[in-house]
Amino acid sequence: MKKIIEVKNLTKEYKQVKAVDNLSFTVNEGEILGLLGPNGSGKTTTINCILSLLEFQKGHIKIFGSEMTPDAYDLKRQIGVVFQEVAIFNELTVYDNLDYFCGLYISDKKTRESYIEDAINLVGLEKYKKFYPKQLSGGLLRRLNIACGIAHKPKLIFLDEPTVAVDPQSRNNILEGIEKLRDGGATIVYTTHYMEEVEILCDRIIILDKGRILAEGSSDELKELASIDEKITVEVKNITDKVLDIIRKFKNVDEVTLNMNTLTVTYKKGKNNLEELIECFKSNKIKYDKITTEKPTLNDVFLNLTGKGLRD
Amino acid sequence: MTVFKTFWQVVNKYKATVILYTVLLIGFGGLNMATNETGTTFVASKPDLFIVNEDKDDELSNNLVKYLEDNTTIKELDNDEEKINDAIFYRDVNYVVYIPKNYGKDLLNDKHPEIKIKSTGDYQASLAEMMLNRYLNIQNTFISSNKNVDDIIVNINETLNKKTNIEVTSKLDTHATTKATSYFNFASYSIMAAVIFIICLVLSSFHESGVNKRTIVSSMNYKKLNRNLLLSSLVYSFIVWVFYSVLGLIMVGDILFSIRGIVYMLNCLIFTFTSLTIALLISTLIKNKDAVSGIVNVIALGSAFLCGAFVPTKLLPDSVLTVAHALPSYWYINTNELLSSMEVINMSTLQPVITNFIVLLGFGMVFIIINNVATYYKRNIVKKI
Amino acid sequence: MFGHNFKYSFKTLLKNKMLLFWTFAFPIILGLFFNMAFSDIEKNETLDIIDIAIIDNEYYQENEIYKSTFKTLSDEENEEQLFNTTVTTEEKAKSLLSEDKITGILKLTENGPLLTVNQSGINETILRYVVDEITSTIEVTNKIFEDKVAEELMNGNKQIDYEKLHKEIMELVMNNETNIKNVSNDNLSYTMIEYYTLIAMSCLYGGMIAMFITNYKLANMNSVGKRVSVSPIHKGSMLLGSLLASYIVQVVGLAILFLFTIFVIKVNYGTKLLPVILLSLVGSLAGLTLGVAVATLVKSNENTKTGILIALTMAGCFLSGMMGITMKYIIDKYVPILNMLNPASMITDGLYSLYYYDTYNRYIFNIVSLLLFSLVMIVISIRGLRREKYDSI
Repeated sequence: MKKIIEVKNLTKEYKQVKAVDNLSFTVNEGEILGLLGPNGSGKTTTINCILSLLEFQKGHIKIFGSEMTPDAYDLKRQIGVVFQEVAIFNELTVYDNLDYFCGLYISDKKTRESYIEDAINLVGLEKYKKFYPKQLSGGLLRRLNIACGIAHKPKLIFLDEPTVAVDPQSRNNILEGIEKLRDGGATIVYTTHYMEEVEILCDRIIILDKGRILAEGSSDELKELASIDEKITVEVKNITDKVLDIIRKFKNVDEVTLNMNTLTVTYKKGKNNLEELIECFKSNKIKYDKITTEKPTLNDVFLNLTGKGLRD
Repeated sequence: MTVFKTFWQVVNKYKATVILYTVLLIGFGGLNMATNETGTTFVASKPDLFIVNEDKDDELSNNLVKYLEDNTTIKELDNDEEKINDAIFYRDVNYVVYIPKNYGKDLLNDKHPEIKIKSTGDYQASLAEMMLNRYLNIQNTFISSNKNVDDIIVNINETLNKKTNIEVTSKLDTHATTKATSYFNFASYSIMAAVIFIICLVLSSFHESGVNKRTIVSSMNYKKLNRNLLLSSLVYSFIVWVFYSVLGLIMVGDILFSIRGIVYMLNCLIFTFTSLTIALLISTLIKNKDAVSGIVNVIALGSAFLCGAFVPTKLLPDSVLTVAHALPSYWYINTNELLSSMEVINMSTLQPVITNFIVLLGFGMVFIIINNVATYYKRNIVKKI
Repeated sequence: MFGHNFKYSFKTLLKNKMLLFWTFAFPIILGLFFNMAFSDIEKNETLDIIDIAIIDNEYYQENEIYKSTFKTLSDEENEEQLFNTTVTTEEKAKSLLSEDKITGILKLTENGPLLTVNQSGINETILRYVVDEITSTIEVTNKIFEDKVAEELMNGNKQIDYEKLHKEIMELVMNNETNIKNVSNDNLSYTMIEYYTLIAMSCLYGGMIAMFITNYKLANMNSVGKRVSVSPIHKGSMLLGSLLASYIVQVVGLAILFLFTIFVIKVNYGTKLLPVILLSLVGSLAGLTLGVAVATLVKSNENTKTGILIALTMAGCFLSGMMGITMKYIIDKYVPILNMLNPASMITDGLYSLYYYDTYNRYIFNIVSLLLFSLVMIVISIRGLRREKYDSI
């Protein structure tokens, strides 16, 4: 597999804080890499360093196999960036904003026009071409922000928390758009602190905290790191303390709690756990309905690794 | 109390602006009030003169120079044409006299030598020209009847020494009152700008739709909130007034510790109140906080220029003054002007001042009424939405 | 690419109402205020007709010289009319004086003339000078008369025709013409300086436009700046296109101001049109570079930067005479070094030298100073402009 980005031993210090601490990772062609971490974990700083916007103390960065510098225009031409903050002209309409930013990459007018149409369709802003930014809602602004970053059809796209403070409809729209971009062959670096998004979207995930990599791998691989493996929740009506004790003694069970009529059982390891539980209910004549089983989330992984939640 | 506290926090944020207007006032005041002479004996106005004398060894020429030196203020300048021209243009000197070479000799030989002059063409220059003319007339008359230089000079000087007796009747120290008036006139600009600018900014911060909605849904009574805002604005304006009055006492001095001074300050208080009503009206009418500085500059500068805060009213064109009647500042400044030349202060001489007060308060009332109407409409629109 | 940038910078600028207000409308409004306030100042500087009262008593009635002089000087048809004279009783005159209706009262007594005035002032001084002049004319006449009589007597002529002699002397005194020639430059209207400072202000306010444009190009100032920084465009060419657009907007604004001042408020820029245009183009350049410098050197938000630029401009205009023309002269005379740093004064002084002087030395000096100023601004901001990586953003 071709390596699109190579980051080696990247270290960036602000006056007193080490924002990025000896970071090394690679991004492969065609994948969506998720950079996951709480606020202040160094995600944005890492991206700004890769883009050559920030000076850094140590490390090497290669994009498409060449050294990234501020005047590496050939590299820059193939990169699209969606910044965390909405970076657009308030004085220009939706279409003019797109035309301006796309025009920085594509000088041929016809190509540009068709690219802009594609971008508008991708984020679903067809009805708002003539609108000025202040007439748009927060979600629509975010979509415009994304469109401005990707209209020139880059091969490598950085998306820095594109869904912060966005309504669910816009969010779905944005996520779908990102998938389409990947399907179109782009490599994507995606930062967020919403683990649901990463789980749905990313092929590979890097969990960052305090500028260091805590863990790396696919969603499933990471979940292996969590101390729990499965969580089963059952609505029960006539359970007794005796039955609870029986369940507690099952081989894989970690913890059993009863809250009103809701029984929650967490397991350290998987396989046939549900079957065993249902058997137990049957043999003890316990009426049950509504069974849900959950796999651990990345939040659980993060919690396990750092002792704090992602959104703390 | 919360409203009150927040009000001051926002004011504090914009304190640089208030400081700016105050510095302008002090700077202007310092520049304009540097008049020194006081008193009730007659002091002749002396035009500012510069003499280029190229006939230095001649007694007749020197006598002319001496006469001019006695009766005008001779300015120190480099004898450089560009510097002289600049000095004339900027009225540093009103009149320049060039005495040519051999002037004295040519006079005695009846050659009628020419004296070149440069003039600003204003009052002072006319006065200088009158002096020069008078001297030359006398000089020429004596020369035409007698060619003895010593006799001529004695005759000229004897003649010129006769001065008319003059009596000054007024006991009013007009220098001091003029100073007070020019301070308070300029203060109209600073007060208006400081009051309107700050109150508009603070109130529009409170009215900003987000904050406004938040306060509407809060447990505080909306009417009470508005009352508190109004009270805070009132207190702020009062502080502005106290501040500029105290500054006035420091800069103008003694003359303000009198009944005249009290009337000056009362006038100023009423004007501050009227400015407050303008500020309230504007803050109701504007939608955009960014527009505040533009609007304030236009209103404050406009009032100041049109009504005579910077330039004395007697120098303004009549048409401008007619228009100025429609502005509160005019009535305020008019009172200041009346006070500067009022010799006796009693109920009958104060009659026109009281009329001005009533007009100013009337303006305030009108602004309050318009403000209430506008607020009423605005709230109805909100309800409809 | 140049054109693309140029086009959109233009569009952005024309949508920014605050910017357009301060750079286009505000100078015009201020000009209008200046016009209203200053249009009569210079007219008022020339002599008014002075209202006076003369007390009607025997001394006055018998004194032909006083009577005829004041008659001539109060004649409405005389171009040099100086007084408006009321001859009246002492009581009436005093009441006129106390009401400030007249400047002074002239009363002739046996000890000579006596003036009564309310205060010391220019009108009072002029009144006194006229009376002094009459006194001295009488004095001169008497003196020459005495001399002539003595001379005739010395010559043994005992039959002197006093009347003829008196007439001769009067003629001598009255027809004496003084030879004074006024060599002042034309164009002495100093309120023009106010309008010149207005032009200077407008040139420098143009810096706000350039600053606004530059902010969009700096990754450490603005989020759009970041987007621009990661694009594959050379920063220099991009900046140039945008600054050209801002320069054009600025110059258009200035042109409108010029037209307004020339045709509506009748400001006189002298007769040399081309140098005036060149000066305003160079002045705008100075404003533009000042704006770029503030944008790059000041690390703060846009409001603070605008504040700083306005403060610098207003301070410059203050020192070049906007709030009082004397200020410019004081600086010119005592601290000329300040003018070397102040672009507002270079522009004002350049316009002044075109208006007042025939020679170009001073004008050229100002043009060169402005170019130097612009160059310095560019040099000090170039590091910030060329910078592509930042310590923090």
